[in-house]
Amino acid sequence: MVQEYSSILDWIVFNDPMKNPYYPFVDTYNLPFDIGYKLWEILGGAIAWLINLIFPGNPVSTWLVCDATSTLMGLLIFMLLIFIIAFVSTLIVLWMERKCLGRMMDRRGTMVGMKGFLQCVADGLKTFMKENTAPKKVDKMTYWWCVSLIVGLSVLVLCMVPLSQRWFVVDYQTGLLIIMAFFALAPFLILVSGWAQNNKYSLIGGMRAAELMISYEVPMLILIATTALLAGSFNIGDIVNAQNETVWYIIPQIIGAITFFFCATAEAERVPFDIAEAEAELVEGWQTEYAGMKWGLIMLGDYMRGSVSCSMFAILYLGGWTLPFIGNGPIPEIVFLLKSYLVFFFMILIRCALARVRTDQILNIGWKVFMPLSVINLAIVLLLKVGGVF
Amino acid sequence: MAMKYLDKYPKNLAKSLWVLKPCWAVMKLFAKTVTHRSMTILYPYEKEWIPDNYRGRPGLRFDKCVGCGMCVRMCPTACIKLIEVPDDEGKPVMRPQVNLGRCAMCGYCAEYCPLDAMTVTPDYELAEYTRYDLLYGPRRLNYEGTTPGMEVKLEVTLPSDIENGNPERRVSFFDLDRPELTDSKCIGCKKCAKVCPVNAIEMVEKGVNDKGKPILRPVIDNSKCICCSNCVLDCPKDALQIKEVL
Repeated sequence: MVQEYSSILDWIVFNDPMKNPYYPFVDTYNLPFDIGYKLWEILGGAIAWLINLIFPGNPVSTWLVCDATSTLMGLLIFMLLIFIIAFVSTLIVLWMERKCLGRMMDRRGTMVGMKGFLQCVADGLKTFMKENTAPKKVDKMTYWWCVSLIVGLSVLVLCMVPLSQRWFVVDYQTGLLIIMAFFALAPFLILVSGWAQNNKYSLIGGMRAAELMISYEVPMLILIATTALLAGSFNIGDIVNAQNETVWYIIPQIIGAITFFFCATAEAERVPFDIAEAEAELVEGWQTEYAGMKWGLIMLGDYMRGSVSCSMFAILYLGGWTLPFIGNGPIPEIVFLLKSYLVFFFMILIRCALARVRTDQILNIGWKVFMPLSVINLAIVLLLKVGGVF
Repeated sequence: MAMKYLDKYPKNLAKSLWVLKPCWAVMKLFAKTVTHRSMTILYPYEKEWIPDNYRGRPGLRFDKCVGCGMCVRMCPTACIKLIEVPDDEGKPVMRPQVNLGRCAMCGYCAEYCPLDAMTVTPDYELAEYTRYDLLYGPRRLNYEGTTPGMEVKLEVTLPSDIENGNPERRVSFFDLDRPELTDSKCIGCKKCAKVCPVNAIEMVEKGVNDKGKPILRPVIDNSKCICCSNCVLDCPKDALQIKEVL
């Protein structure tokens, strides 16, 4: 019998994903999807070729490399890729915090492998090893759902932040608002989980989270609206492009940028606005009853929200992934991540330098300092807009 | 009425700029620790500098020791004990043994040792698995590389003096404490001569008593005496005392 040999290159053809009729991103080029699509072409094509060698002319092989399957599998790899990049950038943020904080305190920070980066992995393993206990008298449903939702929302928000014009999940017209809306959901869940845990420290922590939210949320939304007004759009890509065409918005809105920086610190519940956690006063705040990996994931979620805060600052005020006079460089994603790390460095600096605000000061700060500053910023922007500068 | 709520309003908003001050301090420290090394020492790999007369565990130079028991008497935690061990020629001699589980690392034994046989050592990593392992016998107390700084002197001899080549005691020979005999109390029992670790006491005949027997009195050789006060402690009639130099 003559076996017809089919070359592997018959099965792996690098098609243009944009030509695919099922291409999910309409008419914009998406780099991670492209990578995922091509990875599937290699993987699926190799599998299809192998199956075809054993059973020549079978339908499974052709199904594996048809347009619809390629798009589906490309999307799966795309999701993985987006998550892994976001996750690794969060781990880098975590590592950066530990090292910089150590140096700022005249010590060395973590020292385990790769200049201390592997300490994150060690901590993850350690929390995985711990027993997953839950107290007897908690409200089961809210206890479990709140922690899942907080972690899930953090991951979701982090994945939704676009890294560049070509690295995004969905190119919303209202992307900024949607990210901010998901971002602001966490304090509600903190309040509910504080109630559900049947513990005084958790309850106080939850209450404090609510108090914190009512003080920083309004100035923050005013600041976002101001930036959207200046750019004329809620689309993140449009805001970045508008900054690329004129100047970075930190120059006209310097007051707003500083206020937003502090509001974003409060949004991520970092020192000096970590009154919901406040490990010196409340044991671990609203996380007191979460043991083992639940706590580890909550901490990871905290850092994810911290890095989202920094990314939002970079998008709103530092020109996102563009550089002055260059625009989109060859690797805009790296530029964007570096900018957000720079903002995070200042967050670490603030964390090291300042003490935690008292619960009675936070409302004063929110409504008597941040609020007027954001309104002044809005007035300046309105004047600039009406005067025809932007 | 509405003005009442403005009472608590920060009077001078510019005053809240004080937050820049700690930020600046932290920034300076960060710049310093990035370019230079930080305070932390990576302990198992690198160790802190320790001075020459660092008071770690006691060390013993077996050949210099005469077994006078001065360290035993001086030890505030009573962790030193004289035990009988064979010396290099196989003769049984008394030498100190230190229980490091009880030792307070005060260095008094090295300070009071009249022959500088007992020293301090810069050895401070002494963890063992059992308490029994913490008993350091006379041979185990040996420490290689003893420097003059480790023989802590009772008289003021600073490490800087030793460095400058001036390690002598700042006390003249005649200013040392020495035992003194009260002749009327002595019964001539020869006990002091037996307990003297350096054989500085010799019993000498000083005439004859009423019954015609020789009167024995100790004569102390000041050049040999190390003032360990063993003779004073063992005298049954308290005839010997340490004459202190004031």
